[in-house]
Amino acid sequence: MKSIVLSSVVTALLVFSGCSSKEPAVDNKTEEVSAPAAQEVQAPATETVSSENSVVNSSTANSAEMTMAEIESKLPTVYFAFDKYNITPEMQERIDAAAELGKTDAAKSLSVKLEGNCDEWGSDEYNFALGLKRAEAVKKALVADGIDASRISMVSYGESNPVCTEHTKECWAKNRRVNFKLLP
Amino acid sequence: MKILFSLFIFISVLFANDATIEVIKKANTLPSIAVEDASISYDDTFRLRFFKTLVADLNVISIFNVDRHHRIANFNDVDVLVENKDMAYVLRYKMFEDDNGALNVQVKLLEKNDEVFVKNYRVAKQDIFMFVSHAIAYDINEFMQQPSVAWMKRKVIFSRIVAPKQSEIVIADYTLAYQHTILKGGFNIFPKWANKTQTAFYYTTLDTPKPTLKYVNIRTGQVQSIISSDGMMVCSDVSSDGKTLLLTMALNGQPDIYSFNTLTRKYKRLTRYSGIDVNGQFMSKNQIVFISSRLGYPNVFTKHLDTNEVEQMVYYGRSNVSCSAHGNYIVYAARESSNAFSKNTFNLHLISTKTDFIRRLTATGVNQFPRFSKDGDAIIFIKNYKGQSAIGIIRLNYNKNYLFPLKYGSIQSMDW
Repeated sequence: MKSIVLSSVVTALLVFSGCSSKEPAVDNKTEEVSAPAAQEVQAPATETVSSENSVVNSSTANSAEMTMAEIESKLPTVYFAFDKYNITPEMQERIDAAAELGKTDAAKSLSVKLEGNCDEWGSDEYNFALGLKRAEAVKKALVADGIDASRISMVSYGESNPVCTEHTKECWAKNRRVNFKLLP
Repeated sequence: MKILFSLFIFISVLFANDATIEVIKKANTLPSIAVEDASISYDDTFRLRFFKTLVADLNVISIFNVDRHHRIANFNDVDVLVENKDMAYVLRYKMFEDDNGALNVQVKLLEKNDEVFVKNYRVAKQDIFMFVSHAIAYDINEFMQQPSVAWMKRKVIFSRIVAPKQSEIVIADYTLAYQHTILKGGFNIFPKWANKTQTAFYYTTLDTPKPTLKYVNIRTGQVQSIISSDGMMVCSDVSSDGKTLLLTMALNGQPDIYSFNTLTRKYKRLTRYSGIDVNGQFMSKNQIVFISSRLGYPNVFTKHLDTNEVEQMVYYGRSNVSCSAHGNYIVYAARESSNAFSKNTFNLHLISTKTDFIRRLTATGVNQFPRFSKDGDAIIFIKNYKGQSAIGIIRLNYNKNYLFPLKYGSIQSMDW
């Protein structure tokens, strides 16, 4: 169980009134600068972790031949070229296979969350948008393969969720990807 | 000859206030200043730490040649130390702890043995001494009648990635010497101050089923959910009155820029390109600057909200991925090489909408996420170099850059 600690900082400084003249000036009043007071607060209710619920539900709902975790382990990772979000023929085959799996009896009641990721080149909004466009490209391919769009949600993690942290070409290629996460 | 001279004067006046024109180093003409330590409390380690912080702050205000020798003096001595007799100015301070354990600092500025400025400071806790140092530097700068460095006293808020999908939101001073982790655990990114007084901030949480924008009141600790979007949610800018936000959302999986009224909670889609539109920043009430892939690569554009006219702002660089605007000035980050995997460099550049000049602000490393200070005097940015993150400050009018490294983690985004 993760903990979320939220504390509050009080403004550390008062407004200082500096002297605007170059004439000799004396300002002897003492300024009070208050210390930041830390305050523990309750974690926001909406921050309940969804994956926690999904684990509980999946273990009770899966009487079928495959558990959710088993299905998820069979789902592929889709990789992309640098700064691109188009799907190559090789990756299209992986998506087609994923769509077939999604239509099986064991999986058809499940939803999927597509997680778009990028390499480390850019810690900015553009990279998050690029990750999202990758997830959207996979979603469109799945819908074209007959998966209901309402079963698919998307999120982008930008470069914040690397599977490989070395600074090499091969490593960056592994991070430019879309993962499939199943939800009940 | 007269004509030539007049022409020279004319050109000088013409370019005098253009920040895209680089200021050539003028360090030799700056007045000298020495700092004398007359503290009576605290150990040598802390005294030296305070001294170094103060010297660093005096350097950042960029109006002095600062002497780096730590010299001990008596606060009430009329004359400056012999070693400092040739200095234009001497800043003498006395730190002492009062009965309540508070840190007190008495300061006097001496100009040729004359006291020209005196002031006392007090903070309740010793460990936030850096704010006193920033305040002293701010006051000295004001006394010298230089352009305001009010940004020195502002706080920086940033998100730090500590592990995959794990981050912290931290409030710091501009040098990162003071750091307070305000939000820990989970995956929370893109913090943005919600108002001028820095009493509240927005951030995006990715721990909810859909990315959600949250609002935190720092004084009360209250957290509110503002709006959610499938795929992506970023608060890119807050209007100066705090009433309108520029958001990047993807309500149908399509990243576009939206304006959001914080009072009515209604949003309006501002861009409609089928590729990527992100990083909206207010230039004025009716004009935004943003990053778009509408040419096939990321570049900087502006849009007039009343006429819907879109204009390309930058004709240089193949990957201009982030930007910030202040009045007529736009600072943007550009990838310098088309080869993504050799020595990759991102540099910051400054342009003006009124001229054709481009001024390059950085030379090495990966420099990203530029943000203007509220008064446009300085630019803050993230520098990543050899796996370490640092916050950089550029003083535009003085052509100086300063770096303040982060001890661990990497900075994901920030605001000040």
